[in-house]
Amino acid sequence: MVRGGGAVQVVRPADLAQAHEAMASSTAAGQLVSIRAGGTKQDWGPPLAPAPDLVVDTTGLDALVAHNAGDLTAVVGAGMALSRLQERLAGAGQWLALDPPSQPRGATVGGLLATGEAGPRRHRYGSLRDLVIGVTMVLPDGTVARSGGQVIKNVAGYDLAKLLCGSQGTLALVTEVSLRLHPLDAHSATVRIPATPTEATPLVVGLLAAPVVASALDWAGGALWVRIEGSAGGVRSQVEEVRSLAAEGSAPSAVLEGEEEARAWEELARIEAGEEGDTLAVATSLPSQLAEVAEASDRAAGEVGVAADLVSRAGLGLHTARLRAEDLGAHAGFISAWRRAVQRLGGTVVVRRHPPGLEEVADLLGPPPSAVEVMGRVKDQMDPGHRLGRGRFSPWWL
Amino acid sequence: MGALEEVKAELARVLPPDAVVTDPAELATYSCDGLAGYRTTPGLVVLPTSTEGVASAVRACSARGVPFVARGSGTGLSGGALPHAEGVLIVLSRMRRILEVDPVNQRMVVEPGVTNLAMSKAVAAHHLYYAPDPSSQVVCSVGGNVAENSGGAHCLKYGFTTHHVLGLEVVLPDGSVVELGGRTLDPPGYDLRGVFVGSEGTLGIATRVTVRLLRLPEAVATLVADFPDPSTAGEAVSGIIASGIVPAAVEMLDNLAIQACEAATGAGYSLDAGAALVVELDGPREECLGRFGEVEAICRGAGATRVRVAGSEDERALIWKGRKAAFAAMGRLSPGYFVQDGVIPRTALGPVLARIAHLASEAGLRVANVFHAGDGNLHPLVLYDPDRPGEPERAEELATRIVELCVDAGGSITGEHGVGVDKACSMPKMFSEDDLAVMARVRAAFDPAGICNPGKVFPTPRLCGEVIGPYRPHPLELAGVAERW
Repeated sequence: MVRGGGAVQVVRPADLAQAHEAMASSTAAGQLVSIRAGGTKQDWGPPLAPAPDLVVDTTGLDALVAHNAGDLTAVVGAGMALSRLQERLAGAGQWLALDPPSQPRGATVGGLLATGEAGPRRHRYGSLRDLVIGVTMVLPDGTVARSGGQVIKNVAGYDLAKLLCGSQGTLALVTEVSLRLHPLDAHSATVRIPATPTEATPLVVGLLAAPVVASALDWAGGALWVRIEGSAGGVRSQVEEVRSLAAEGSAPSAVLEGEEEARAWEELARIEAGEEGDTLAVATSLPSQLAEVAEASDRAAGEVGVAADLVSRAGLGLHTARLRAEDLGAHAGFISAWRRAVQRLGGTVVVRRHPPGLEEVADLLGPPPSAVEVMGRVKDQMDPGHRLGRGRFSPWWL
Repeated sequence: MGALEEVKAELARVLPPDAVVTDPAELATYSCDGLAGYRTTPGLVVLPTSTEGVASAVRACSARGVPFVARGSGTGLSGGALPHAEGVLIVLSRMRRILEVDPVNQRMVVEPGVTNLAMSKAVAAHHLYYAPDPSSQVVCSVGGNVAENSGGAHCLKYGFTTHHVLGLEVVLPDGSVVELGGRTLDPPGYDLRGVFVGSEGTLGIATRVTVRLLRLPEAVATLVADFPDPSTAGEAVSGIIASGIVPAAVEMLDNLAIQACEAATGAGYSLDAGAALVVELDGPREECLGRFGEVEAICRGAGATRVRVAGSEDERALIWKGRKAAFAAMGRLSPGYFVQDGVIPRTALGPVLARIAHLASEAGLRVANVFHAGDGNLHPLVLYDPDRPGEPERAEELATRIVELCVDAGGSITGEHGVGVDKACSMPKMFSEDDLAVMARVRAAFDPAGICNPGKVFPTPRLCGEVIGPYRPHPLELAGVAERW
């Protein structure tokens, strides 16, 4: 199971026992360890530094351990690709309600858990944090532990799965994940409403206040995109309601269905995923602040002379700015200007994907939160040697 | 002066006189929460009215290693707010201000003593509500909901407290004040809010809670379907799930539970039904009503002997009143009873109920079952006569065996009441020593001195004796690579 050679050793465990073995032996050797699955987000956030001695490749942990369709739950190996999982679940008319932009490139369940990446339908279903009901993990010292279970409702013990969500692989190696599933809806339609962020903001607020249950509510590419899913009658009536809300004072809306709808969302996902060399920064705000966040992005981009494409999860107040043309100085300038403006609104800006070297000239995480000391103590407890994913939260801790 | 005496003296100085309780008779009124079987009179009770007041009390304790316990409305059912005899009970019930309502962004900021229902009432005019709705929502506080990760009848569709709390202001066990989460989503760093919610008061005290609110559904439709027995009712639930419907709520009562609810409320449940299923759908009108027709057909197809559709909001409220009265109504059937809380995979209902019936007849006791049938949360009520020698002990033993049965079926020892003191000794039935040790490491990150609600959640030799529960295979043992270590 050991490959490689050269400075970096790569281990690809095929089961929990081998994962335990890899982590336990790394302790003895005092190795710096990083975790890799689909490899779609290795360029997110502060880089691993110094380079790890051991890379644990989780793609061998790719079994669908159980699919309990009647209970709407599944247990999967952390290295299982999301797209493969969705294919397996679709046979029973179910899915893991998660549609991250990196899915077509091979993102895995474990990698999505570690990074907290989610897609447009987070608007209705939440992120993986809200869908995970149990985990099996291996700590850097080889300790194997579980939290949660295989049932949707369960309050026994601490919910460590939540702690691991978004931890960027710095607390433990996740080997197995228990998930809550949802039924696939039979019908879907997306209303495209041409609108600037300023025009879109009152519409977003209006849609949130309306008794419409949207699956997605995004602003991108000069339009608001409202996806409705459900039964044929439910979709039809809600699409009408969305269109009548939109009719007051904006350009005519269009309804996309079938292939056309799928292609439109794929295109938006491509912008949000970015390409190598791009910088992706995510701002958080209240939903009603869409116009201000977008305006601040335009202004920051104008100041440094880059183009910034914005994809906003408008209903949730999460905005991804994509900067093209690898120009570290310009990207750094954008980040600090946008962050200053977003902070004044009460939000934060964190850099996800970025070209190598940006960490030298830009603050990728921004100012530490008030709980940074407790976070550091959690890290100390789980990984006393700070061997796992070292650098990922630099400069907050090793 | 002892450490507790020093804390008393300091808090008498820094808190207003009416915020410090030392009178023995008054202290005794705080000796238990909703689980009255466990009682301890606290060494001192304080009732702060601000974050600073809570922080002062915690700092005074921390400086001297004195344990403290937080308490909201005291409705918990697992003894999570059981006081410490040599410690301070910090009661949050005077912190009950609604600090901010933002209807546009559907958020609300409240102090921890605000009751669950008061939050929904405060925003009803904006067509908004706070989704988690535990049965005790009239009195239970949101701070307690955060500690217990409370659910409610509607959590299959809408989730638990952890899905609705965006941010927390927390007094840590060293007395410092931090923000976990925030008003916007995805603040940078570890999701400590996620591990704090449901930690049963062992990681700190929440002094301010930011929640998200949901738009009230346009339509709500509710029916009660009678079935010959719980298994048949369970098949109807399977049919509903298989057709891709996620009901807002699915509740099941067996015949004994129906008898009790009817005696208490006269809500119109059929006394001769072997099981009653309450199914509620909500959402946009077309979506909700269209699918409600499907539910009705599925129930009839599965063998329902009668289907009653609530024709008005009043009738709907009456159906729910009957269901929510279940625990309290049991007193009409039996002078004593234990309320159990376990979770099973929903599909295991038939065999688990059969096994419970078998165990009950072996013990010569009656068990009534109330079941959140959508999410597998089972509430068996074990009936007994306190005046018959040995019967309370037999009933308690049966209640414990039932919860073990839930774990054996792939479920959990608790779905919503929490571990507290009540089930701390059952934790090893569900978790290995290593599982618990890792949780304890996280606890140590928040509370290195172990003064924040000690003796809860984690099994201790003092609490549990030497018995560490039956053997459970560790994942590595299952994988065939390790023996018990």
